[in-house]
Amino acid sequence: MQLLDRTFDVSTVPVSGASLSAEAVRRVEQFLFHEARLLDERRFAEWLALWTEDGRYWVPRFHDQANPFEQISLFWEDKMLREVRVRRVENARNWSQQPLTRSAHLVGNITIEGLDAAGHLIVRSTLQLTEWRIDQRQLAGAVFHKLAATEDGGWKIVLKRVNLVNCDDVFANLEVFI
Amino acid sequence: MTLSNEALAALVRADSVHKRVYTDPEIFALEMERIYGQAWIYVGHESQVKKTGDYHTTRIGDQDVIMVRAADGKVHVVYNRCPHKGAKVVAEGDGCTGKFFRCPYHAWTFKLDGSHLSLPLKNGLEGTCYDPANPDFSMKAVARVDSYRGFVFASQSAEGPDLKTFLGGVASSIDNLCERSPVGEVEVAGGTFRVMQKSNWKVFYENLHDTMHARVTHESSFVAAREEAAALGEMPFELLIMDGNGEPYEFWEKLELRAYHNGHGYMEGIFDPTAATRDPVSRDHFAVLSDAYGEDKARQILGMNRHNTIIYGSGSPHTVFQQFRVIRPVSVDRTMIEIQTFRLKGAPDAVFDRALTYANLINSPSSNVMPDDVEVYKRCQEGNQTRGGDWVSLHRYLGTDQETPDGMVSTNGTSELPMRNQFAAWKQYMLNPAPTRQRQAQEKEADRATA
Repeated sequence: MQLLDRTFDVSTVPVSGASLSAEAVRRVEQFLFHEARLLDERRFAEWLALWTEDGRYWVPRFHDQANPFEQISLFWEDKMLREVRVRRVENARNWSQQPLTRSAHLVGNITIEGLDAAGHLIVRSTLQLTEWRIDQRQLAGAVFHKLAATEDGGWKIVLKRVNLVNCDDVFANLEVFI
Repeated sequence: MTLSNEALAALVRADSVHKRVYTDPEIFALEMERIYGQAWIYVGHESQVKKTGDYHTTRIGDQDVIMVRAADGKVHVVYNRCPHKGAKVVAEGDGCTGKFFRCPYHAWTFKLDGSHLSLPLKNGLEGTCYDPANPDFSMKAVARVDSYRGFVFASQSAEGPDLKTFLGGVASSIDNLCERSPVGEVEVAGGTFRVMQKSNWKVFYENLHDTMHARVTHESSFVAAREEAAALGEMPFELLIMDGNGEPYEFWEKLELRAYHNGHGYMEGIFDPTAATRDPVSRDHFAVLSDAYGEDKARQILGMNRHNTIIYGSGSPHTVFQQFRVIRPVSVDRTMIEIQTFRLKGAPDAVFDRALTYANLINSPSSNVMPDDVEVYKRCQEGNQTRGGDWVSLHRYLGTDQETPDGMVSTNGTSELPMRNQFAAWKQYMLNPAPTRQRQAQEKEADRATA
């Protein structure tokens, strides 16, 4: 199974520093704000297009979880599974999305951490997420993005790791991407 | 006021039940006493308490209990209560308490079996009834504790059948789960998910063998998996396990449902066990089991194809994907599910990988499958609180099931036999207010106090 391919580098600890101009940092920040907006507006097709072919989306189940291979995760999804989730939430007979989940992401405290072994940019941010579907729910945490530079000067997501402050909470469901 | 047996009996008909069994807090309280106060309930697996002093907290019905490994290597189950002021001795979760329990309130200490060890400043108790040997000064043990192949169960009643007899035909599901390991042993691994459902606990048990809901409730899920598979031109394991719910009615009608006494049962597997020879993970697993048990036995072990097994009151082990969904009632309209995943000792790593993936994709709170179940359970709970009718139907294929010495077997996989069987057990428990040992002890204490 590709999903449990241990060669995928899940580390968000930089192996070297990154030197970015103020303008480049600004573009990284705008990228994260744009990603959050796509999720809030449920523009999932556009959100899927932000990823590299082998990009992985990870929400660990445990604080300081080392990897998604030995323990369960709240989300551990490759391209195929991200697409399946979008297909499901957009299906007309998605009973648990009636009414829809509404969300507002607040992204802040953005810092450039450095580069990983493959030269991907590691960016850390803090997330405050308010969700509404019948009940209001608050999720928050530290988010790590590993970004690959594209030829046109933009970014694609190689890894998004969301360390929820309440990852060990009792949940009813987590249906949409955080 | 406690409901009379006549009133309770009238709530269950051969083909239907009164919605009150799902919505009435008084009935829930009685269930905690008469079902959870008597039946053997799964507490946890021995691998969760490997070393002396290791503990795992959980609940038997509405009772907070601690499973703990004592110095003699035995696993004990005690109520999580200090006999002094009643404080819970350990916080929720797992941990190691060391050589003894120590209450955080006044430092009373207890041996790992709950018996009284000591307390500070004994001179203040001179001339009182304080006596370390008096059970009033110890943490109370649950009446009976037994283990079946490492699966620890406890009963709050001193009376009743032994564990093996209680499990009856579903003991073979635990056997099969263990035999999938070449050394016959499993351990809890990879962590557990906890999911809260806004519905009565019985709704989940009924759904486990409800084959009529799969292609309706999970339509968005299996359609999404099939669309994705079509786009990819293949159906990998991750999609295959979501695809199963979309089988046509003819498929579900052919499945076998088994119902045993005490509300237990199992449902035949959805996935083809002969896939073992086609898929490399199953092939490797088969090779390891053949070395350990011989080819015939290995074929028999992997060929036993069960989907959900029900151990009524405890939850649902899944042998093929090495899980136990432990079902804990919280209140009349809240149920907590704890999803444990097991590693088969000595089996290839890829077998555990598959179990991990199954847990992540099918039973996690963020799966594409469970949210729709949780939604319909909640709708049942809310709908049954309206005045839109009083009875819940269980009539599908009524009267067609075949009796066997240890229970019943369906003639049709869409039969509502499992639900009728569960309510037969429910009625048997609920009409039998036999005092538990706990209450007998309380009565004895009350007698002593008034004497």
